Amino acid sequence: MAVVKLIGRDGGESKLEALSGCPLMEALRDANIGVEGTCGGACSCGTCHVYVDAAWLDKLPPKTEDEQLMLEAIGDLVPLKPGSRLSCQIPMSEALEGLVVEIAPAL
Amino acid sequence: MGAINLKMLLESQSLERAPFPVPVGWYFIDYSENLKPGELRNIFVFGQEWVLFRSESGKPGVTDPYCPHLGAHMGHGGKVCGEHLRCPFHHWEYDTEGNCKAIPYAKVMPPITKKGPILRALPTVEKYGMIWSWYHPACEEPSFELPYVPEIEDATGYTGSRRGSWSANTCIQEIAENGVDVAHLKFLHNAPIIPPVEATYNGPTMRINIGQGYIVGDSYGPGLNVMRFTQKDPVTGKAITATMLSYTVPVSHDKSQMNMSFRHVDFPAGTPELAFTKKQIDHMIGAAEGEESAGFESVDFIVWNNKRYRPNPLLCDGDGPIFPFRKWFKQFYVEKPKLDDASA
Repeated sequence: MAVVKLIGRDGGESKLEALSGCPLMEALRDANIGVEGTCGGACSCGTCHVYVDAAWLDKLPPKTEDEQLMLEAIGDLVPLKPGSRLSCQIPMSEALEGLVVEIAPAL
Repeated sequence: MGAINLKMLLESQSLERAPFPVPVGWYFIDYSENLKPGELRNIFVFGQEWVLFRSESGKPGVTDPYCPHLGAHMGHGGKVCGEHLRCPFHHWEYDTEGNCKAIPYAKVMPPITKKGPILRALPTVEKYGMIWSWYHPACEEPSFELPYVPEIEDATGYTGSRRGSWSANTCIQEIAENGVDVAHLKFLHNAPIIPPVEATYNGPTMRINIGQGYIVGDSYGPGLNVMRFTQKDPVTGKAITATMLSYTVPVSHDKSQMNMSFRHVDFPAGTPELAFTKKQIDHMIGAAEGEESAGFESVDFIVWNNKRYRPNPLLCDGDGPIFPFRKWFKQFYVEKPKLDDASA
């Protein structure tokens, strides 16, 4: 279990408990805060897009080609930032206690 | 009484009839005239169902039936829309190569759709007035091409509309092995002698020459065999060649559909040459009038449909070159790949 600090689409801050061993997307999806995570982690929908706080970026596994391509594909619809990640590609662990992410706009 | 040879006596109990996967190759799917633009239907070949369709502009496609999206069977309720096959469930569309070309409600096409086909589609061409597909269990591209066959592609010199289709309850290798098994021609077909045979192998092609030019057969993989029968017409003294195109399809690993077209030189009506060449064709199929020997139709099936494959046959002198044939045929067997994370 790790507690993640969220910045919502309205700018509001909150805390979320995310289960170790599960992708961050599942915790966000199940919290009903507007993250759909439709494709279940296949990098084919782009609906779990988050902006990861710059301090945490190098603690995450690098992007796969599939994640990179999906991020590029949604780039016409939503702003991409250096911290743009698909939260389905962030496996949670105790080491990510205190991770700060902002929910990106819906597609 | 000698020692009991249990291997000889008991091996047949554990033999299978067709212990091989569906071989790699080009295979006949249907005659071109049987598939109109916009038409779609289900076919069963290579051990599974496929959707056969023709786009509005005339391109044939053969695809896996199950939509990569949520698994609907596109051969039940699917439609041809322009150049695409459209799934009935959510109207995802695929081209004849299996590329996803449209998802009517997605704001963003999944990136995987840009990388290549997501629906299995068999490489498909039209040749000889037929639709042909390339089967490879690991979806590899064709490794050889179908040959030019003048008898069926040259509209001016040849004619003949006779065709046939027969089901055989065995695999193609077992059917084709009869080509090199010349001893059976005398005993099963009642040929006057055991004719000499020469077989030459070159990559995916094989040529057999039976009876020093009487029958010359060229195989292009397991799915096409062009056999030319040349005989001297006793009336005119001319050597006349008639052609049998044999294109057998693996319906499953142990069931085959044998298809044949018979073609001959376009001799004028009423000539003795025409009468002779038509008799040649009768002879290829079954017993021709006034002849003792029998074509494949009347005698081969009873053997094919009931035999078991002996990987270690007991051959004797006078048998044909069975083993080189089997070694050649082995190149067409590729095991189905196992899917794991690396290939996913």
